[in-house]
Amino acid sequence: MTPTVLVLAEASGGLLTGPTKEAIGVARTLAGPDGSLAAVTMGGPSALEALAPFGPKEVWVADVPPEAATSGAVAALAAHAADESRAAIVLLGGTTFGRDVTGRLAVRWGAAAATGATEVAIAGPEEVHVRRPVFGGRATEMRRLVGPRTVIALRPHAFAEAAASAGTPTVHVLDRSVIPATEGAARRRSLDPAEPGSGPSLSDATIVVSGGRGMRAAENFHLIEELAQSLGAAVGASRAVTDAGWRPTSFQIGQTGRAVSPQLYIAVGISGAIQHVVGMVSSRTIVAINTDASAPIFKVADYGLVGDALTILPALTREVRKVRGLPAN
Amino acid sequence: MEIVVLIKPIPEAESRLRATPDGRGLEPEGVKFVLAGYDESAVEQALLLKESLPGSRVHAVSFGPARCEETLRAAIALGADRATWVEGPPEGSDDPVLAARALAAALQTVPHDLVLGGKQAGDDEEGIVPGAVAELLGIPSFGYVTDLRSSGPSGLTFLRPTEAGVERWEAPLPCVVGLQQAWNDPRSAKLPNILKSRKAPILKVDWPTTSKALALEAKPRSIGEKFELPAPRTGAKMIEFKTPEEAAEKLVRLLREEAKVFP
Ligand SMILES: Cc1cc2nc3c(=O)[nH]c(=O)nc-3n(C[C@H](O)[C@H](O)[C@H](O)COP(=O)(O)OP(=O)(O)OC[C@H]3O[C@@H](n4cnc5c(N)ncnc54)[C@H](O)[C@@H]3O)c2cc1C
Repeated sequence: MTPTVLVLAEASGGLLTGPTKEAIGVARTLAGPDGSLAAVTMGGPSALEALAPFGPKEVWVADVPPEAATSGAVAALAAHAADESRAAIVLLGGTTFGRDVTGRLAVRWGAAAATGATEVAIAGPEEVHVRRPVFGGRATEMRRLVGPRTVIALRPHAFAEAAASAGTPTVHVLDRSVIPATEGAARRRSLDPAEPGSGPSLSDATIVVSGGRGMRAAENFHLIEELAQSLGAAVGASRAVTDAGWRPTSFQIGQTGRAVSPQLYIAVGISGAIQHVVGMVSSRTIVAINTDASAPIFKVADYGLVGDALTILPALTREVRKVRGLPAN
Repeated sequence: MEIVVLIKPIPEAESRLRATPDGRGLEPEGVKFVLAGYDESAVEQALLLKESLPGSRVHAVSFGPARCEETLRAAIALGADRATWVEGPPEGSDDPVLAARALAAALQTVPHDLVLGGKQAGDDEEGIVPGAVAELLGIPSFGYVTDLRSSGPSGLTFLRPTEAGVERWEAPLPCVVGLQQAWNDPRSAKLPNILKSRKAPILKVDWPTTSKALALEAKPRSIGEKFELPAPRTGAKMIEFKTPEEAAEKLVRLLREEAKVFP
């Protein structure tokens, strides 16, 4: 089979996002030497410019302002591009945007669908296999997606980002008249940007440093932030911390907060309650720092340090800065 | 406001998971299925909206095997006014697109200003159903929603945390919302209401009806092939140390040389 694989590409500030580059890498592998890579984007000329060096043969481009980019509008345009490109597979990055579009696009385009894929393989002329974690990473499943059309959203960080190659794609401009009239009334009124300079967001981060009640007081939480900064990591927290108001609920990891699956998760002063663990157990490597050697967190961790976080953290931050060649502070 | 809330029975958080003998899916035997996770938040949010908008009704709808009935009764005990079980195929299916098609077919005859669901189910974590239902109903949909508020009879406002920051949206009704978080932690049902819910009527849409309505689309196209549990984590490698400096040095070395996850 020589499939065309279409990537729904997202750009921000004139650059492709990490999850989009991951999707392009997977698309290149699936298309193989005989298939072809195509892309569709809502980001207008600047997204097109960001995409071109990644080598898609054809790009379908629409200029939909983020204020009007509802999942229904995006799905209609992407389905149109998928039809025109005669794609067999559409891949989306594992972002809020990508995952939100998947179900609509699947119906609109008449495809089988899955999200959160950590492996994707073509198994036959009308069959794609995906592997995906389920139950908060407590199990994985392999699913067969059957039929001539498949839509898959990938899990963030599960694949390597594609490098830029070269290329001058053929460009098609998408006609916004395919957007259903019912989408017109919804509007994004504002965006409160993630704090600049505050490091990567929780879902983008390849490393997360999380603090729990064991940090003892809000005044000590800066020790978590300093370690995170030295590692280029995002900061997370247990519910004990967000309930106590030491940090806002947007930091909360777990059943009622965010689920993350970074390469490295460092749990500091966190006991390891099941409701916390389901949000981080699929991280690749887990480190726990806790005064209590019998804390359940050590059962899910790969490396454990039994000791006082308040003394270990400053030493750890110093060591990380030293090894990474960062100025001591 | 006519509020429909889509719910799915999922294994209790503490359940021991194991695969069926053929290795294709989760063994349901011995697992307690409950209303939980984002769906439980969706029910809570539906009830909060109903309480703030006099004259509103909440209709809980669940697609799948017979165990849906018990989950619907849990929603009734919490305060849902009506419940509909949309029966799944006898051989079972966990294709989220098929679930969405069956639910949307059933909703054709159910009044709905707002269709609420969890942003994803707590078991398969697909997050496909809300958007797919909306596409089938031809109305807008919004996933990952928090702080959902009614803004008069025909609109909503809500927040949506994304990678770029927190978005604030205004949306028209009718629409579908996949909820990340309700205003409150979910309430618990009161005992008399639990008892009453046992006798509450549950409407049923049987599979032959759905199958006929879906025609060629009644076949699952996402099929579980293997369900695997990771080798249990053997517990942490404990790092011995005398000083914080020694702890730091040993950990950093292991992360660099053994785990290879040091930046
Ligand atoms: C419906 C429901 C949903 C929930 N959702 C979530 C969720 O999404 N996320 C979440 O995190 N929780 C959630 N919880 C709460 C969860 O059950 C735990 O209560 C919570 O995770 C505990 O947080 P913690 O580990 O920080 O605190 P604790 O359990 O109090 O643990 C503190 C730990 O710090 C250690 N410690 C103390 N001093 C030090 C020190 N100086 N140095 C190092 N270690 C020290 C202690 O030994 C202890 O292990 C939920 C609970 C319920 C009922």
